[in-house]
Amino acid sequence: MKIVIAGGHDESDFLIAQLLKDKHELIVINEEADYCDYLAHKYPQVTILHGNPRKQHIFEDANIYNSDVLIALTLSDADNLAICQCARKVFSVRKVLCTVANPKNVTIFKQLGVNTAISSTFMIADFIAKTTTIENLMQALSTEDEQIVFRDINVDKDSPYIDTLIKDCRFPKNVIIGCVIRGERMIVPNGNTEIKLGDRLIEISAKENEPDE
Amino acid sequence: MNPGRKRRNDRILIAGCGRLGAWLANQLSCKGYQVIIVDINKSEFDKLPEDYSGFEINGDATDIDLLRSLDMEDAFMLVSVTGDDNTNSLIAQIASRLLHVERVITRFNDIEHASLVSEFNIDIIAPFALSVSEFERLSGIRLQKEDDE
Repeated sequence: MKIVIAGGHDESDFLIAQLLKDKHELIVINEEADYCDYLAHKYPQVTILHGNPRKQHIFEDANIYNSDVLIALTLSDADNLAICQCARKVFSVRKVLCTVANPKNVTIFKQLGVNTAISSTFMIADFIAKTTTIENLMQALSTEDEQIVFRDINVDKDSPYIDTLIKDCRFPKNVIIGCVIRGERMIVPNGNTEIKLGDRLIEISAKENEPDE
Repeated sequence: MNPGRKRRNDRILIAGCGRLGAWLANQLSCKGYQVIIVDINKSEFDKLPEDYSGFEINGDATDIDLLRSLDMEDAFMLVSVTGDDNTNSLIAQIASRLLHVERVITRFNDIEHASLVSEFNIDIIAPFALSVSEFERLSGIRLQKEDDE
């Protein structure tokens, strides 16, 4: 896929590395000259353009016509919206996405034609809303936070634990399942709790036994 | 001071208390419109004359909840004249497309932005194009092609 990344600092660096793994064709536009030098040095196979992504002509220079995806990562929500709309309308980019600082813009931008708007605040709020029930559990153990590791495991169709009683699961040593989240329900499990497809398991382990994957 | 109470038909919100925003706010207010001027920087309100009788709201006009709290849904008019084109574009689109404000007027210093909102119910003030037209009128030299803005 042909993917354009407009703006962004650490995010673009990380994204480039990730996307290159999947062999995508990347065009990166950034307004910081030093940062462009850094990226060009680190990723010689990527097209890096130094310029202001708020200006249409830089997209012309970069020839982003008919790209598959554009990702706008500037710090201004209004700029990201303009970049996404410009990419779609003027350059026929198929999917446009951006980050937003104001979480309210997640829904607003979708209504204004951005395929996906991502807000870290929105995601955190969403996460908290979904996990308020385990909040107390987390807090109770936070005094020893460096010693205890939580992991949130989704039981997908490839999971070895489906339809298995917890006592029969082969978990790593010193790991317990603190909680099973099934739909809206919270289950405090015991050995006879059966794990189902779609469950979320909150796994608690001591730090030295943190399972590596 | 609840501007949300007034009749909505003569309600005009002006986003951005720059020179144009402040001037428009005062003139429209004198004409009897219910004017609300919004700016994120409180000090910008210093540009308003002493006897300005509309409302001043210190806040972010790109925030849809602020606009709703000012009763802008289905309001008569919103004028977006902040110093940033993309901010103007965002405010105008929220007003026109999400809040269904009857008349939306926005200023774009860079005329490139016009094409992005062309199919929406948004009117555009383009200082560049106005200057070109005025130059043509004053100089008597025609410069714009027919298809130019």
